[in-house]
Amino acid sequence: MTATVEKAPTAGSRGSQPPVPEGATTITVKIRRFNPETDTEPCWESFDVPALPTDRVLNLLHYVKWYLDGTLTFRRSCAHGICGSDAMRINGVNRLACKVLVKDLLAGAGKHTTITVEPIKGLPVHKDLLVDMEPFFEAYRAVKPFLITSGNEPTRERIQSAADRERFDDTTKCILCAACTTSCPVFWSEQRYFGPAAIVNAHRFIFDSRDEGAEERLDILNDVDGVWRCRTTFNCTDACPRGIQVTKAIQEVKRALLFRRV
Amino acid sequence: MTEIERHAFDVVVIGAGGAGLRAAIEARSRGMRTAVVCKSLFGKAHTVMAEGGIAAAMGNVNPNDGWQVHFRDTMRGGKFLNNWRMAELHAKEAPERVWELETYGALFDRTKDGRISQRNFGGHEYPRLAHVGDRTGLELIRTLQQQIVALQQRDFQEFGDYEAGLRVFGECTVTDLLVESGRVAGAFGYWRESGRFLLFEAPSVVLATGGIGKSYKVTSNSWEYTGDGHALALRAGAALINMEFVQFHPTGMVWPPSVKGILVTESVRGDGGVLRNSEGRRFMFDYIPEVFKEKYADNETEADRWYDDPDHNRRPPELLPRDEVARAINAEVKAGRGSPHGGVFLDIASRLPGEEIQRRLPSMYHQFRELADVDITREPMEVGPTCHYVMGGVEVDPDSAASGVPGLFAAGEVAGGMHGSNRLGGNSLSDLLVFGRRAGMGAASYVESIGQDRPTPVESEVDNAARWALAPFGERGPDGPPENPYTLQMELQQVMNDLVGIIRRSDEMEQALKKLDDLGRRVRNVMVEGHRQYNPGWHLALDLRNMVLVSECVARSALERTESRGGHTRDDFPQMDPEWRHQLLACELEHSESGESRADRMDGVRVLRRPQPAMRPDLLALFELAELTKFYLAEELAEHPSEKG
Repeated sequence: MTATVEKAPTAGSRGSQPPVPEGATTITVKIRRFNPETDTEPCWESFDVPALPTDRVLNLLHYVKWYLDGTLTFRRSCAHGICGSDAMRINGVNRLACKVLVKDLLAGAGKHTTITVEPIKGLPVHKDLLVDMEPFFEAYRAVKPFLITSGNEPTRERIQSAADRERFDDTTKCILCAACTTSCPVFWSEQRYFGPAAIVNAHRFIFDSRDEGAEERLDILNDVDGVWRCRTTFNCTDACPRGIQVTKAIQEVKRALLFRRV
Repeated sequence: MTEIERHAFDVVVIGAGGAGLRAAIEARSRGMRTAVVCKSLFGKAHTVMAEGGIAAAMGNVNPNDGWQVHFRDTMRGGKFLNNWRMAELHAKEAPERVWELETYGALFDRTKDGRISQRNFGGHEYPRLAHVGDRTGLELIRTLQQQIVALQQRDFQEFGDYEAGLRVFGECTVTDLLVESGRVAGAFGYWRESGRFLLFEAPSVVLATGGIGKSYKVTSNSWEYTGDGHALALRAGAALINMEFVQFHPTGMVWPPSVKGILVTESVRGDGGVLRNSEGRRFMFDYIPEVFKEKYADNETEADRWYDDPDHNRRPPELLPRDEVARAINAEVKAGRGSPHGGVFLDIASRLPGEEIQRRLPSMYHQFRELADVDITREPMEVGPTCHYVMGGVEVDPDSAASGVPGLFAAGEVAGGMHGSNRLGGNSLSDLLVFGRRAGMGAASYVESIGQDRPTPVESEVDNAARWALAPFGERGPDGPPENPYTLQMELQQVMNDLVGIIRRSDEMEQALKKLDDLGRRVRNVMVEGHRQYNPGWHLALDLRNMVLVSECVARSALERTESRGGHTRDDFPQMDPEWRHQLLACELEHSESGESRADRMDGVRVLRRPQPAMRPDLLALFELAELTKFYLAEELAEHPSEKG
């Protein structure tokens, strides 16, 4: 259970390690690290961590932070897949660390397990697993992600049928974790592309029966950096921790553009 | 001293959950230049975790509902310790706030005729919770976030600057409020990313920082819940009330260990789920307290009929208020009738068709399938109590959300009074919107009222705040062995969980106070490695000071209140005592004469008794006298119409 890269113990940096729970196996967590104050390039650092099959990758990262290296930096908040703070590349694919179980990553019988964890790709890395989310939110804001209506505000709710409401239900599940956008090869090579998440959030309003801003949003997405950049690789759909049919939503927006009909 | 980035605003809102965002929208719409400061990324607030819905007596599903019924339910749920004026405003204004949210664009599940659908929940007489599946909190935050983006784009069109009226400072922590001659003068904080300091010069601050649950080991709360706003208010000179009342949600996950404490929404019970012990018995029938006997069914047949015919049957006891259900589960486990992993069984599988479960409770279905390998459409869930919410908070004026410190306002979980000794499910999201708006109004009116007479932060106070924030880097050196922040946090969580938890005893709480005293000393010796740029150890070191201070408030108040009521259960005083109903416990920091820096205050909590103002007679008259006599002293009921004849 020692860190592969040994450092001199610093005052107060480490806690005494808790007893290893029954049924735990030692696995190696290999983390892509970067400290802007000291490093010029990111580098890999490995930690051996006792893990239960029911642990999640987030638990392993917490173990490293609490007991092995208190400077390990990553975002997390609700810890069960609702807030969308802890998207990262786990064994090469975008996942939320709080939703990936160790048992699904274990190597075959008798083999040692190594799990690699990297920051999501295509956004500037601030430190370790923490990236600058601003470009992502900028694309989100650009699609006018709010209800656009004309006329007087009603005093009670607007009426919406169950069928109309169902039409955009899927795209309201988005938690803005960026897992889709940063799994997209088009986004990796061209960060001006709005990316799947922004299109999903445009879809959410374009297909809302109460909204009157569809034309505006479709014009925005008709841009060179808009939906036409999508190459339907389905990475985004696979990456979405909420199970949103992202590629399908993008296709629906493309179709709406072609036929100007929602 | 260190370089400090300075900003001037009219209103600074700390916290970007439901209350904070609603307050900011209100302040901005009243012409205030407004800042929202939050520890997380914008849009990730704890509010997103609320699952069940927003309680509002719109009467869309049962037209018999109205604000009076909602008011009554809220007071009953809080065991009549609630600030009745807050409960009144809340019940009256919640429907407008939900409709308003809908006009902002929020998605809701709909009734057949296209109106907002409402679901049953514990303690609510009628289906009252507006909801979208089991992701209502997420939709609420997303909608308010969208509204803020809309306002910023409007400002851009008008002034050429997105942030002309409203600016969000994400991943930014406020460590201190600056008070000048007793009035708010600003706030001091740092960027989490760079570690650089910020000074907000502002005559008003709205606290909307949420709760304190991270002081407990088993909790449904996220890392932000370190009692920052509670501690900031105390140190600024405001009082906290009702801190002994901590809500343990009856149904948290108990297995596997890595997810212990994560919430299982009350909607599972609202939609028909029942609780069983290891013998398969629906044990809640054994735990209906005297005060609720008229409203809750005492047999399974009647309870099951209620789902289809609520007008002629009493409600199932699984839908009792949360404190009752949590205590019952605790008792069953103690009596040896628990589930294999120390909880009880929550069964929806035998109650609804699988498809219906997946449609109504999709998040729960996925949560259990992915994290516990349990298919809730086939098997029961294992659940047990988890620390969920603090009823206690900043003592505020009900109408304006103003604290005792001029310029300081509080709304949402950080404010106290609204929920009395126990909050009903669904009343939190509505609380955020109703009092978030009122806090925004309150702050705006205050700023207008003081005109040009704005206090300026004193530079020496700013220097003190900076020095205190940097202490964990050890420039001054500790007075004892250096401490690790992560270790201290775990020790604190264990102390609160074991000694000031769901069932309390005086000797254990005395012990807790000793340990908290010791932890308080050790927190001053926390040393962190690394530098200021995004340093999680340093961030925790600063949060820990707040956690220890606020935990002391909980323990001291809990020791003082020698009765059991709502979210405060004493093994040594198991009864509810009417003598305590009209008494509030307020925590304040003793004023130090030594000129010690305000930022440095971590101890010296004193608990004072405050009388609860008597309820307005017209509100009192909404209850039957027979019910009130279970809670009130005879002399307090002289104003009731049936007493006056």
